[in-house]
Amino acid sequence: MSAKIYRLTDGAEGLFIKNERFNTTSVSFNFYLPLSEKTAAAYALLPFMLTTCGEKYPDFSALNYKLARLYGAQLDASAEKLGDYQLLRMRISVINDRYTFESESLIKQAADMLLSLIFEPKASDGAFCEEDLSREKRKAVEHIKGEISEKRIYAKNRLIEEMYKGSAYGVPKCGTVKDVEAITGKSLYCAWEDMLKKAYIRVQAVGAAIPSRLFEDAALRLENTERRDITDCRLNEPTAPAQTPFEITERMAVQQGKLCLGFSSEMYGDDDVSLPLMVMTDVFGGGPYSRLFTNVREKMSLCYYCSASSVRQKGLITVESGVEEQNAEKAQREILSQLETVRQGGFTDFEFESSVKSICDSLSTYNDSQAALDTWYALKASNHTLYSPEETARKISEITRADVVKAAGGVRLHTVYRLLPKEAK
Amino acid sequence: MHKQVFESDIGESYVMAEHPSGLKIYILEKPQYNSAYAVFGTKYGSIDTHFAVNGEETRVPEGIAHFLEHKLFESEDGDAFTKYARTGAYANAFTSFDRTCYLFSCSDRFYENLGILLDFVQSPYFTAQTVAKEQGIIGQEIRMYDDSPEWRVMFNMLTAMYHSHPVRIDIAGTVESIAQIDDKLLYKCYNTFYNPSNMFICIAGNVDADKVLTQINGGIKTVSPLEITRFPADEPDGIVKPYTEQSLAVAQPLFCFGFKENAPNPERTLKEKVCTSLLLEIIAGDASPLYKRLVSEGLVNDEFSFEYFTGHGYAAVIFEGESRDPRRVAEKLKTEIDRLKADGIEKRLFSAVRCGLYGEAVRAMGSVESVAMQLVNCAMGGHGLFDELKYLKTVTPEDVYKRLSLLDGEKAVLSVINPAEEETA
Repeated sequence: MSAKIYRLTDGAEGLFIKNERFNTTSVSFNFYLPLSEKTAAAYALLPFMLTTCGEKYPDFSALNYKLARLYGAQLDASAEKLGDYQLLRMRISVINDRYTFESESLIKQAADMLLSLIFEPKASDGAFCEEDLSREKRKAVEHIKGEISEKRIYAKNRLIEEMYKGSAYGVPKCGTVKDVEAITGKSLYCAWEDMLKKAYIRVQAVGAAIPSRLFEDAALRLENTERRDITDCRLNEPTAPAQTPFEITERMAVQQGKLCLGFSSEMYGDDDVSLPLMVMTDVFGGGPYSRLFTNVREKMSLCYYCSASSVRQKGLITVESGVEEQNAEKAQREILSQLETVRQGGFTDFEFESSVKSICDSLSTYNDSQAALDTWYALKASNHTLYSPEETARKISEITRADVVKAAGGVRLHTVYRLLPKEAK
Repeated sequence: MHKQVFESDIGESYVMAEHPSGLKIYILEKPQYNSAYAVFGTKYGSIDTHFAVNGEETRVPEGIAHFLEHKLFESEDGDAFTKYARTGAYANAFTSFDRTCYLFSCSDRFYENLGILLDFVQSPYFTAQTVAKEQGIIGQEIRMYDDSPEWRVMFNMLTAMYHSHPVRIDIAGTVESIAQIDDKLLYKCYNTFYNPSNMFICIAGNVDADKVLTQINGGIKTVSPLEITRFPADEPDGIVKPYTEQSLAVAQPLFCFGFKENAPNPERTLKEKVCTSLLLEIIAGDASPLYKRLVSEGLVNDEFSFEYFTGHGYAAVIFEGESRDPRRVAEKLKTEIDRLKADGIEKRLFSAVRCGLYGEAVRAMGSVESVAMQLVNCAMGGHGLFDELKYLKTVTPEDVYKRLSLLDGEKAVLSVINPAEEETA
């Protein structure tokens, strides 16, 4: 497995991740742009708009028919938050030509289709077509409103919104309903032009070979675009500690309460400085060997899940749990007490070693999944050095207990968000 | 041990063997991969609530299979998670309607991990204290699912569809039903369903099949095979009621629209499953004319999906998603089914969806997790891993058309989750 970088144009790179074990080949276009209230909704709509129709594929149903004919080619779109940036992804993956009924050439067709969809949208007079726009806007609005259905995700999103009010990271990854509703054919077209102008662009291919002329054709398309104010997605604002932790309680028609805690960390940044924070978070609330699982769930039987995760670019740690209202305070006390234990170095060698082993084992499985590898490299754009999963595993294995204690030392409770049932029980 | 090798024309092959105890073993080697995925499972799920062994008839509380799954991780010499933590493997388990599976994934120390799996699944250890502790954790799991609209909409539909088949009950049971579970009942279920003759081991990845077989051969405890009688539910052909609804905290209605199929034979054949999957793509897949209308008229979004839901003694075709008007979606589905019954299946669309499903089946061979789970389906259904690929090459529109008759409007159930009042504004 190796990853090779090709320069396409200013702020645009091709990355070929050679891996011959897969029976599919994938191509992804990744656009990195600053996350801001003004642009988030329009930028987030673009990947969905562009992958449902284009100048050459004016009808979404006909496009889906074509994908089925390409042996179920998967065309995916997403808009993600990557620190203070928005990552817009469009990806196509097809089975390798040798598996088709009559040795058809799918990979070239699929890569050309994706290029065409991104660079030749279905638009006229500098505006996207109204019919397509209203369909995609409706779906986006329903998607944003629908987040309330999944209470675990909803509660975490609310925590982040509250914790980062007024700053880039607090902007929802797909914008707000109001901002989606305000998008016009013209404003979306401008957002598309801005995306091509200002985004850092990464075109990635994962498979046995680079699809024929993929990088050359992508470079040719970009040559006709004026590139300026190109985004540097490696710069992130760290999370400032709170003087006094904020507490927010909201009530909803639910059976089970959700408890979400947000912490700031003095350790933040890319892999060269923040990997100990990853191990620390895992010892605290990662796998079944972690402090939160063994104490809050297993010993105290307070919940079904209680886990921690980190966003290292931002120096953010979050803890999520589903608890009964009468147990929420007890659970919170125990979570904070477990953090204190980690801070004091009170975790066992077994817990520390289990964590390192578990992370390294899991990193080693990335090479067995094309989608996981593609995502890995796309997210690593926020790193100054492009480390492979194996290189990262090597760095993790060098982390010591003292590094973990040091990472935990700078962790401070910032915000507590509780989602509780309507009527107190 | 009796052993057979099955080859395919896509470059994959697997071994199937039977241990003298009756345990079935399936192994697909992927030497070029880093990782492996292993499942030790039993044909025992939430529907097995009424059975007899050696003439002794037993009824057990709802949710006991799932409870047993949680408890099996604990053995007299410590819990399995702790043992896996020493190797770095990822371990988990799940219970569904008709099966319970224990699994791990790892990229190192596979044989050690397999040893842990063989050992803990064969070493039950239940006491009154450990059972009581689990009731708190599972109680919270049940409460979490009570708040999940996707889960509720499905189970409400099954309750409206089935009069007495235990597929209508929640997999985890209820807080009340799990309160009736004790250590003696758990041992009774364990000694019945965890007999190797009712079990299977499925493995895919970087392993040596011969070495695995030798290890399993020496690691399976000697137990006499059992004759398990599962009492068939006295399930009438018809449904309970055609419509059911509930209010929860959601933004717009969720729906589940299912057609109950009579099951003269308890199991559906692989050909029936493949033909039904093709039929569903033709009725409402991404490339179908109906899907185009549903999206264009603003009736469904990307959450729309369908499945052929089958298991021992039950089968139903289910369409689900979010919609501002679920009744209208259900009507349109019925109309499209009637149109297909009258007009027949369009060959062009059939050919495209067949290509699509073939590609998906090839793609699924690329993931060790997906292969291991498909091998579990083989063990449950008695078919071969490559049968679907082979059948997709020869299936005809006429074969698919025959499956249309199972979609009987008189046996359709619409389940809806409406927004609770305060969320509708």
